[in-house]
Formats: sequence, structure tokens, C-alpha cells
Amino acid sequence: MGLIRSAEPDFLPGTLEMLILQTLSRGTNHGYGIAQHIQQISQDALKIGEGSLYPALQRLLLNDYVVAEWGLSENNRRARFYKITAAGRKQLAQEKRNFDALLAGIARVLETP
Amino acid sequence: MKLWKRIRNLLNRRAFDRDLQEEMRIHREMAEEKLHHLGTPKEEARFAAMRAFGNATLAQEASRAEWTFFLESLVQDISIGVRMLRKSPGFTAVAILTLALGIGANTAMFSVINAVLLRPLPYENPQEIVVLRDNESLPNVMDIQKQASAFALGGAINAQPMDYTSGPEPLQIRVGLVNSGFFEILGVPPLMGRIFSEAEDVRGGPRLAVISYPFWQGYLGGDSRAIGRPILVGGNSYTVIGVLPETFVAPRERADVFLSLWVADPNTAADRDVHFLHTYWRLKKNVTLEQAQADVATIHSALAEQFPAEEKERRMRLLPLRESVVGNVRLALLVLFGAVGLVLLIACANFASLLIARGFARRQEMLIRAALGAGHGRLLRKLLTESTLLSFCGGAAGLLFAQWGTRMLLALKPRELSWLNGAHLDSRVLLFVLVVSVLTGIIFGIAPALLAARTDVAAALNEGGRSKTAGVAGHRIRKIMVTAEVAFALVLLVGAGLFIKGFSRLRSVNPGFNPSGVLTVYLQLPATRYREIPKQTQFRRELLARLNSLPGVQTGMITDIPLGGNYVGHKLVIAGRPPVPKGDEPLVQTLTVMGDYFRVMRIPLRAGRDFSEMDREGQPLVAMVNEELARQFFSRDNPVGSRIAWAPDIGLPQWMTIVGVVGDVKHSGLNQPTDPAVYTPFVQSDEPWKRFMTLALRTDNSSSDLVGQVKAQVWSVDRQIPVSDVQTMDQRMAVSLAQQRFYMLLLGAFAALALTLAAVGIYGLVAYTASQSTHEIGIRMALGGQPRDVLRWILAEGAKLAFFGILIGIGGAFALTRVMAGLLFEVQPSDPAIFFGVAILLALVALAACYIPARRATRVDPIVALRYE
Repeated sequence: MGLIRSAEPDFLPGTLEMLILQTLSRGTNHGYGIAQHIQQISQDALKIGEGSLYPALQRLLLNDYVVAEWGLSENNRRARFYKITAAGRKQLAQEKRNFDALLAGIARVLETP
Repeated sequence: MKLWKRIRNLLNRRAFDRDLQEEMRIHREMAEEKLHHLGTPKEEARFAAMRAFGNATLAQEASRAEWTFFLESLVQDISIGVRMLRKSPGFTAVAILTLALGIGANTAMFSVINAVLLRPLPYENPQEIVVLRDNESLPNVMDIQKQASAFALGGAINAQPMDYTSGPEPLQIRVGLVNSGFFEILGVPPLMGRIFSEAEDVRGGPRLAVISYPFWQGYLGGDSRAIGRPILVGGNSYTVIGVLPETFVAPRERADVFLSLWVADPNTAADRDVHFLHTYWRLKKNVTLEQAQADVATIHSALAEQFPAEEKERRMRLLPLRESVVGNVRLALLVLFGAVGLVLLIACANFASLLIARGFARRQEMLIRAALGAGHGRLLRKLLTESTLLSFCGGAAGLLFAQWGTRMLLALKPRELSWLNGAHLDSRVLLFVLVVSVLTGIIFGIAPALLAARTDVAAALNEGGRSKTAGVAGHRIRKIMVTAEVAFALVLLVGAGLFIKGFSRLRSVNPGFNPSGVLTVYLQLPATRYREIPKQTQFRRELLARLNSLPGVQTGMITDIPLGGNYVGHKLVIAGRPPVPKGDEPLVQTLTVMGDYFRVMRIPLRAGRDFSEMDREGQPLVAMVNEELARQFFSRDNPVGSRIAWAPDIGLPQWMTIVGVVGDVKHSGLNQPTDPAVYTPFVQSDEPWKRFMTLALRTDNSSSDLVGQVKAQVWSVDRQIPVSDVQTMDQRMAVSLAQQRFYMLLLGAFAALALTLAAVGIYGLVAYTASQSTHEIGIRMALGGQPRDVLRWILAEGAKLAFFGILIGIGGAFALTRVMAGLLFEVQPSDPAIFFGVAILLALVALAACYIPARRATRVDPIVALRYE
């Protein structure tokens, strides 16, 4: 995925939200945890900067795709946990479909000599 | 929903910031811990985590930005705007005052338009109600109702004065004689009790009365047991069965008590020839006015065939209810509204001009803002917020002016505009103010804002702040604005001038009588006791004798006094002329007189003689005619001695001999043509329904209480006769001038306002030019220029604008005043004297407005001027 080198503005619009939702679909997590998860799974290909992570989380909150709640982390630290909502799951599915279609389209263009 | 969440967020902004800050701090700590865990020293781990996190403030700003919305930045702009405006109170006051005058005048005028033309009439589905333009007789109404398929129902009313004798003093009240359909058409349910039923609305039906709310309150004390109470009206006792709601007003009639026409006056009700009813018709669903018109026309042509004497000459034309209620006032109101719109445009031009000047003065501020990174759009928005803020304040202040203006309009209104009473501030008027204010702020703020926000930082810095170029475009726009102001002001002044000229023409119209020192009083004999003519004559003789015995009093009486708004028409036949087909005879004004009427009114006798004591019952019938009748029907012959008669329904004409010719009288209004008229003596009348009369009394003794004496004399003859409608003839003259006077005053006020605003606009521009040219003036003076040259040079600038403005204005006025033609009395809309006079007046005012600042500029000390920056 050479197109998305980092989590900074190069991201296609909406992609970061999709990745966050995907992460949260596996279970609730806090901001740091989300960033770490995406970085690990992408084997350091995607580094999410906080400058994009938190605004993206606000957008998700505003759209009711996630809800936030203060809680305790695995090692008993206070943290703000984000949980995906039903609307968020629906949105995720939709975005995945769109993204697949987009990738397929790009691939076709690139594969045509 | 999102908006709601945003607003909630806005209200909990502090908690939001705290949460976000803490969340980010924890994020950093977690990263730091992980690094430490992987073996990085604690201190290093902390910095690494901070570096990795990046600009926390920016992240927080960006996160917060997700939640903000337009309202928030708007509030910010407004609070900054208020601060800016408070810092320059002079500018703010002038701008707000200018707009307040313009918006206030418009709002007052709009509330009148709203009341008269826009607000739905207070009846059920008023758009379905139509009106027959001409008055109808009840048999016609009943025939149309029976035969027309276009209408569900017809309502008819005639409002007339009658006496009310249940009170301590006999009083004249207004009685609406109606059919049972009248209230049903209007769809007004009674407040209490009920309305007449169809079964009760017949000859010989029960004597029942429906009363108005004001009558109930004023005469019956608002008694809740008023239903069932008897009241004496016109000498008969009627039982009150219903009270109408407070809000009820008949469309065109004023009445306190409503009676069934069939019950109260069965003979007139049955007479097809007495066309005295206003009629209202409700169209059936999906029937258009045109279909109904065709329907009525068919019915009328059948009626004309069946009753040629009564119907042949007549037409039946339907009008929408609104048109009949508003009548010719619509054009006048629209002209006035157009005029006041021009005033607003002038005010707006001044406003924009002020904004441009201010924008130029603030270019330093704009440069700094632009240099600090404010975008073009942001600056534009800020400036527009300020101008809209100003126009808003102007609108609010304008509302106060409008309140006051509306009250003044109501105080001045002529009788014809009684619907104006409904003029007050309602939601529609408030919406009007809001829309006008906002549009003014945006439309007239945009050009100044674009100019001010057009900041080329680099170029401006290079010019060292001495920029003149930035002001050039603004100055050109201001010149255009001022030219337009002058043009608009000229149009308004021409309009006002035309009205003033028309009014003075109208005032100098000879009414045909001398009104000064004449008192008029209306009397009506009740049908119960004065059914027969001899009884009426006896009353009249007795009363005239008593009144004439008062010292210095000369008395006459007439059926309908000039300028009173009424007359009776009869069809004329002339002896010895070839016969005219039945129904085609000419209609003439018919007036019945007694006593010294012509001498009291100072109506000159042109030929023959006046009526005398000898022209009495049993003697040969006599008549007098006016000059107009002599001119129309006798051309150059002397009509004295000729015989005329009313076209008879059946049998032979009752010939009357013309004994005299009197001068023409403006009977129907000073601006109306004189109709041919026939005067006959009361004593020879064969029309017992003429039980009404207006006394005309001339006295040389103005100190005595003539009204009290007249009342005493009337009541000494008959205690039960009300004395009403007491007015001097001068008052009647004033009333007949009132409508023209009203239009003239309003248009004059608007024109004065326009002239003032335009003068202020010219003054502002020239003063500004002069102050901008101080440097140049200094050079001229230093090089030996005389103050006179400087004066001429600056005056020329203003004079050029005024000249072009006047030129354009004359063109505009030629095009626009044409619409006023129908409102002007004997004045051409293109009256050259008015155009010329107004142009001179405007030129003088413009020159004066230029002279003051120009004069000031010449007093500049060259040394000071050269240093001036």
C-alpha cells in the first residue's frame, strides 16, 4: 500500500475513520490503544499522528458512530474508552465496500498497460 | 441532531476542553511508559513521547474545530463588530439614523399597505366573496339568487341613519337593513344569541335586531342579559336577538344595529326600482369570477327585457371583494409605497457611501489584519457583519420611527381610508423590517466591504501608506451613489410638487356656494309618525318658522347637502321633445329644498326666480335647474318656462314648470364634474319616503350656541327627533379635500426626507473630497491660488454630480410620474413648471450642501496643509 505512507494528511479522506472503526469493531479501546493497534497491524506502515487521530475521533463522536466513556485501562489507568455503535458498524461496512470498489478501480487503471 | 449536539458542546465547552486535554496527556504518558518499558531512560522517553505527539495545542484546536459551527464565529464577529462601532460613535450614529429614517418611513407605509391590501379581510374565505359594482334592489338580488348557478348565496345591505329613542335623548344611529344572507355570506358567527333566519326575513316577520359590539357596549352597557331586550329604532320596537363579535366590521358600511329589510321597510324592499343595496355574493366552489360574470350578465339581460324601465340602463358587473373595499386607494398607496422605497434607496446610498469612506479610513487596520494572515473571505465576512449590524440597529430604530409614523398616518387619514385603522405592527410588518434591514446591510455593505477587503499587502507597504489608488474606486462609487441620490430626490420632489399643485388647484375650485358661516344638521322623521307628506310638511314649516325667528339666523333645507356624498337620481323627460324609448331617458340629480336654501348657501340665481311661498300644495308644480342642466338640455335657449317631468312608470308625466336657473354646485366633491340637477320644493313633493333633510343655517352671530338652539327648536316641535351629523360647511369642504391633502402631505414628507438625505450625501462626499485634497489645496494656495479658485474648484466637483443627478432625475420623473396621472387633479404629470422649479430647488440645495465644506477648505493655512498627511 504505497499510496498510504503515513497517517498524516496523505490519507484519503475518510480512511482514518474507517481504520478507527475497524479497530473498535474488535472491542472498546482508548486513543493510544487505537493508534498502537493500527501501527502494529500495518507493521508500522501506518503511523497515526495525534493531530489527526483526535479530530477524527471527534468527527466519529459527532456522527454518533462511536461513544466515549471514561474508564480504567488493563493496568488500572484512567483512560477515555471509545466504543463503536450500531450506526458505526453500518458505516464501517459501507466504507469498506466503497474502499474495495475504489481499490479495485485503481488496480484496474494501474494494471492496464 | 448534529446541530443540537454542537450547541450542547458549545455550552459544555470547558468540560470538553478538560476531557480532551486529559485524554491527550494520558496518551503521552502511555507512549512514554511503553518506551521506558522497552528500555529508554525515563527522561528521554518523556521527550520522545512529546515529540511523537507533536503540537498538542494544534491537535486540540483541530479537535475542537470539528465541533464548532457558523453560529459561533458569527457571535465572535458580532461582538468584535459592536466593539468597533462603539469606538466610532459619530459614524455609527449617522449611519443608524440614516437607515432608521429610511426603514422607519418604509415600515410605516408598509403597515398601511399590509392593513389595506395584504391582510386577508376578516371574513370566512374572503377570496370567494364577490361584489356587484352598482347598488341593487332587493327583488333583483332575490332573482339573481334564484337563477344564478355561480353563487351559493347573496347578501345585501343598506346602511342608513335612523333614530334610536330608548335612551335619555333621541339619538341618530346607523342601521344596516339587511337580508338574512348578509351575515351568512360574510361567515361571521354572533358573539351572543343568533342571526335572523330565512323564515324571519319576510314581509311582516317578527321585529328582531342584531346589534354590533360597540352598540352593545355603548348603549346597552354591555349587559349580558341584552338578548331579548326591546330597543326603539325608527319609532318601532325591535327585540335584540344577537350581538356581533368585537372584531366584526361590515365591508363598506358602518352600522350599529342590523334589521331585516323585509321587516323594517317592506315597501322599499319590494321595489325593483330602488337600487340602494350593497350586495355580496359567495362563489360556489370552482366557479371563477368570469363564469359568474357571464351568469349574471345573462340574468340581467332577461331582467332588462322584463323590466325595461328599471333595468334597461343598468349594468351588472362583479368585482372581487378586496377591489370594492379598497377601490381607488390602491393606486395611491402603491405610488406612496414606491415613493417611500426611493427614500430608502437614498438612505441606503448614503449608508454605502459612509461605509466606503470608513473603509478607506480603516485601510491600515485591514492591512495589519491581512498581514497577520486574515484571509480575504474572513475580512469580507467581518465587514459585512459590521454593516449588517448597523442596518439591524437602523431597522430597530426605524421600528420606533414607524410606530410614531403610523400613528401620524392614522391621525391624518381621510374618511375613505377607514381600513387604515387596522394598520399596526404585526408579524408580517416585523418580518418586513427584518428582511429590509438584513438585505440593506448585505447588499449595500458588499461593495464597500469588497473595496476595503481588497488589500494587497505588498503593494500597500511599498506605497508607504500614502495610497491614493485604493481610494479611487471607492470614490467613484460614492460619486455614482450621490448622483443617484440626487436623481431619486428629484423624482420624489416632482411627485410631491405635482400633488401640491393639484391640491392648490382643488382648493381654488369654486364649489358654487359660500361655505363660511354655514352650519348643517341632519334630521330624519320616523316612518311611524310621519308616513304622510302633509305631516312632514307641517313639521318642516313649523321648524323653519321657529329657526328663522332666532336672531340673525337664516335657514333653508335640502334633501342631500353638497359634499355629503348622496343624491337621488331621476330620469328626466322634457315637454315638447321627441319621445325617448322607455329606460333611455337621461338621469339627473334630484334635490328637494325648502326655505331660504339658495340664499343661505349663496348659490347665485342666474335666471328666472327663486321658489316662493306661493309655490305650495295644490298650486302648479314648479322646478329650478342648474346651469349645467340648462347647458346640456336647452343649449342656448332659456329654460325658464319650459316644462319637465320624471319619466313615469305608468300613466302621464307630472309636468313641472322651470321657474329659475341657479349656479352650478360641486355636489359630489370638488374634484368631480358638476351633474345636471333639478331642484323641487318639499311642499309639492309626492315622494313620502323623502323623510330626511339637511338643515343649512347661516348666522352672523357666531358667539351664540347655535347647535344648542337648533336642538332646542327641533325638540320643541318633536321631542323624539335626533339631531345628528352637525358640521359646518367649512368642515365638509375640508373632508372633501382630505384625501388629496393626505396624499400631498405624505408625498411632501417623503420628498422632504429625500431632499435632506440627498443633501447630507452631497455634503458628506464634498467634505470628504476636500479633506482628502488638503495637501493639494495647500500646494495651490502656496503657488498663489486664491481662496476663490479653491472654492470654485471644490464646488465644481459637487455641482457636476448634482447636474448629472438632476438630468437623470428629470428623465426618471418623466417616466415615473405618469403612473400618478389618475391621482392628480387638473395637473399634467409632465407639468413643465413643476419640473423646472424642482430642478432649480434641488440645484440650490445641492450647491448649499457643497458650499459649506468647500468654504471650510479655503480657510486652510497652506503651511499646515502641506504638512498634512
